[in-house]
Parts: sequence; structure tokens; C-alpha cells
Amino acid sequence: MKFQAHQAFRAMILFAFFAFLIKLHMSGDILKYVNPKYNFLSQTAAYLFLFLFFIQCTRIWTRKNKHGEHCYHKCNHDHGDSHSPVKKRIAYSILTFPLLTGFFLPAKLMDASMASKKGIILNGTVGLQKEAKSETGTPPSLYAQEEKIAIDHEVAVDRKEVKKEAYDEKMKQLENAEVIDMNEEVFDPYYGQISENPEKYKGRTLKMKGFVYKEKGFQPNQFAMTRFLITHCVADATSIGFLTEFEKAQTLQQDTWLEIEGTLELTTYNGWEMPLIKVNSWKVIKEPKEPYVYPIWIKIL
Amino acid sequence: MDRGIRLFFLDLMLLMLGAVIIYFGFFSDGITNQNSSFQMPSSFLQLNTIFLSILIEAIPFVLLGVFIAGFIQIFITEEQIQKWIPKNRFSAVLMSCVVGACFPACECGIVPIVRRLVAKGVPIYAGVGFLLTGPLINPIVILSTYMAFGNDLKMASLRMGVGFAAALIIALVTSLVFRKNQLKRVPENTIEHGLNPKASFVKKFWHMLKHAIDEFFDMGKYLILGAFFAAFIQTYVSAQSLLQIGEGWVSSTLVMMGLAYLLSLCSEADAFIGASFRNLFPTSSILAFLIYGPMLDLKNTIMLFSVFKVKFVLYLMVIITATVFMCVSFLSGL
Repeated sequence: MKFQAHQAFRAMILFAFFAFLIKLHMSGDILKYVNPKYNFLSQTAAYLFLFLFFIQCTRIWTRKNKHGEHCYHKCNHDHGDSHSPVKKRIAYSILTFPLLTGFFLPAKLMDASMASKKGIILNGTVGLQKEAKSETGTPPSLYAQEEKIAIDHEVAVDRKEVKKEAYDEKMKQLENAEVIDMNEEVFDPYYGQISENPEKYKGRTLKMKGFVYKEKGFQPNQFAMTRFLITHCVADATSIGFLTEFEKAQTLQQDTWLEIEGTLELTTYNGWEMPLIKVNSWKVIKEPKEPYVYPIWIKIL
Repeated sequence: MDRGIRLFFLDLMLLMLGAVIIYFGFFSDGITNQNSSFQMPSSFLQLNTIFLSILIEAIPFVLLGVFIAGFIQIFITEEQIQKWIPKNRFSAVLMSCVVGACFPACECGIVPIVRRLVAKGVPIYAGVGFLLTGPLINPIVILSTYMAFGNDLKMASLRMGVGFAAALIIALVTSLVFRKNQLKRVPENTIEHGLNPKASFVKKFWHMLKHAIDEFFDMGKYLILGAFFAAFIQTYVSAQSLLQIGEGWVSSTLVMMGLAYLLSLCSEADAFIGASFRNLFPTSSILAFLIYGPMLDLKNTIMLFSVFKVKFVLYLMVIITATVFMCVSFLSGL
């Protein structure tokens, strides 16, 4: 029997990918990378890696005098034994790199510095994408559902896909609730609605969580209450937020997480008419467990 | 001999290193948490997070891709492919584009499949058609585009229609310029390739899995490199500075195409990003963004370079860029 070191190494890499993905799921850190709607994809991938690991294990020991069990058919791809040793090691270093950084470096949340790179938070363009959804009509209050969601986190994770009726219901609540509560579940559609027709919501009270983002053009008493919207993974994050006015704004640092309640007003910024929140009450909060918001997918059937 | 021993020890060290990594990574809560003196710059952590998120997002599709590639390698013979692909060049291109449109894939998962198909004797232009429409046109992409643009069918149908036309043109132009298979490593003795066709199904299946593993290791490194570059650009290059260039129709279209290339977004997610530019740029520029991104981006370019000859990839990039640009300009001229 001959020990095939590179095959063993490959087996280990496969196992490490499995371990990495499972670790992310177990610790919940996966939320910091991808939209939970796609969790099943990475879970499936994890188990496929485990499966491939077992297959690969059978190749670690080969009988002697056999010139590599896989060489009898020549094909144009790398079996791991065709390259020069140096090239092979470079290849394996590349493959190990994401595992190293993945296991050892903490995931970092998107913050204000990324928001400034991505641009486009306040011009309201993001909001416009919701146009056709705006025909939904009228009433009751948010609180009943809200509590349920807060308690049941399991539901919270799967909820990004909602039924049409439930969605309509939520949108009705936006129109009639005393306080517009921008919780994670409805953040994106509500944000779209409000930035699209700021006039309609003028004078209403709004409650939201977000982090402080300041930009050069802002007045000293202004900042943006910002969230990142993740469609698939953090690479496609868009920052969305409301311009906020608050006399103590100067004392607030970039990236501070706040929960505020305020009144919606109208303002213009860089020639765009947009909503403005005048803060009535506020408190500094810890970074929430679910820092990102996600677009809602409406189940049509 | 000496060299062999040294390599053996290097391997042994790598193995041990790997074991240590798995042990600490999995069973402790990450070393960095306890040891605060070891601090990475926050922009690198950000880069790393984006890099890993692109990988996590792409890996399921790449695994699917390597399984299909393995399947093609073992179960499909060259004779079958000869029989299926029409002799006529135009109908071959048309067929490949239609097959690609029915096939759900992403732009990195499809590269190993195309390579395998081309190695099995599919003409390069048909391979290109498949490569382009696979990630661009599929139910998930249509649905997400539809939703991103406010449940409006116009953008989704333009994306499909113009994208399909562009893919046809690109594949046809390719068929005029290139004849040979353009693969970097030409398969030797392709006849010996498959197993004995009479081998049992279980044996074939077993070989398919091994092929899938080899294919994963072959493609994986390029995927990782590509994802890293894309994350690097996202972290250190400000999109806003790019956008300031984009005044006027031509330059805004070019900027959007550049953005699509550099961001390397998955075709399922890019519609929402595209939609957020609606007030800044004309529809045609957004359309260019939506069509160009799935066809060509930073991370799949690196994979293409690993599979095809450099000259071919460069030509293909020029053809794709020019065609998408012209298709979109033609549309906005109407």
C-alpha cells in the first residue's frame, strides 16, 4: 500500500469546507454572509462536501506498483499528480486560504465605511423599485404579529418569503398604524413606500433601528439612519436609510446603533425631495442579532 | 531522492497544519476572540467577509457544475454528442442558446460544464452560446428581475430578449473566428477517455464522483482567486467615484458595464443592484448592466483563462463587450 499525500490533503480540504460551512450554520454567523433564504443551498453544499470527503478517502491508500489508479484514462484535467510540485503547492495554498481566514478571522458587519463606498443611500432611487406594489390599500395595527416574530426566531429566519395576503396585510398596517414600525421584516417594502411618496407619510411617527452614517454634505445636526439590504450575499449589499435630524447628532459616532422614534417631514437633499426624520426619542442599542434587512419575496401561489 | 524526501516532509507538514486548523477552527471559538493583541485592519476583515460570502454563495452552484461535468465525462460519449449537435453552424448555435436558456446555472458553475462539453467534441461556438445563456436566462433570474423592477415585466423581458439575441450574435461571430476547441490542455487520446462503455453503472457512478472531486479542485482555486479580486475591488474601490464618470449615454452605459464586470454579482442578485441605479442612468444603461454581468465578470474571466487559450478568452471578451454594447445602443436608438 502506498500513502498518497496529496490525495489525503484533498480529503482534508473537502472535510474542512464541510466543517467551515457547518460551523457557520451552527454559530449563526452565516447571517453575516448570506441571506438566510439561501441557507438550504449552503447546507446542501456542506453535506455534499462531506460525501465527497468519504469518496476521496478511498483514494488515499493505493496498491503499490500501480501508476496511480486514475491514470489509465488520460484526460485534460488535474488529478493532483500532473503538475510540478511547486505549482501544486501554490494551488493548495489558494484552496486553504479561504479556510484559514474563514476559521480564524471574525466576520465583519458592513459598516459606514462600506456605505460610503457603495454610495446611493439617500437619493430615494432604491425606493422607486417598489412602484407596482404600491396599489395595496388599507388598515390594523402591527403589534400582535410583531411580538410573535420577536419570540419565535425560527419563524423569523424563514419568513422572508411571505404569502401575498400576509404582505398585503403588512402594507395596510403601514397606511393606518399610529406608529410606523420599521421592523426587519417590513423594512424594505416600507422604506420603498415612504421614500417613494414622502408627502403621503408626512407628519406620521416612525420607529426604527439603524446605524449612524454621516457624509460630507450633511449638516452638523444630520445623519442617516442606515441599514444594509442583502439580496443574496453581502457582496450585493445596498445601503438604504433615512436622512435624520437630531440636535445631538454631533455627539454620535459613525456606526453607532440607535433605536429612534421620530416624525416624518419633507426635505430636499441634492435636489431630491425625500423624507426626513425629526427625532423625538432615541436610545443607543447593541448591534442587533439580525443586522441586515432582506427584500421580501411574495409567494404568489 | 533527496528532493522526494523533502517533498514528503513538506506534505506531512501541510497535513499536520491542516489538522491543527480544523481542530482549532472547529472546536475553539476562533483564536482572535480571546487574543485581542492580534488585530487585523478592519478593511481587511471587511474584504474577507465579502470574499467568503461570494464563495459561500457560489460554491453550491459550482458543486452542481462539477457534478454535471463529471456526469458528462463518464456517461456521455463523443458519438452521442456528434449525433445531437446539428451539423449546420447556425442551428448548432441556436440549439446551444436554447439549451442554455433552459438550464439553470450561474456564471462560475457553468465553466466546468462547458469545458467538459467542448472536450467531448461540442463545437466551441455552441459551447459559447451555452456559456452565455446559461446564467443569463433562467427562471430564478427572470423572477428576481421582475421583482426588482417593481413587478414590471418590461425590464425582465428586455433582459431575456436582448440577452438572447446578443448571445446568438456572439456565438455566431465566435464561429466565424474560431474553429478548434480552444482548450488550453488538449485532451490526449480522447478515445481512451471514458471507461469501458460496458462497465457497470455503479462503477461508472463511482468514477463520476471522483471526476467531480478532481474538477472541483481544478476549478476551485480559480473561483477563489476570482472571488478574492472581486471582494478586493468592492472593499477598496468606491462605486461612487465610478459613477461620477457616467455622464451622457455612452459613458453611462460603459460605466454600468464596467461595474457589472468588477462587482461580479450573481445573476440572481444583480437585478436589485441594477434597479437602484434607475434614477441615475437611462434604462438602456441598466439593461447593459443586467446583460453584461452574467455573461462576463471578474471571477468568471479568471476561470475562463484557466480553461481556454488566452487569445481566445481575450477575443471573446472583446466580442461580448462590443456586441452587448451595440445591442443595447440599437435598442435605445429605436
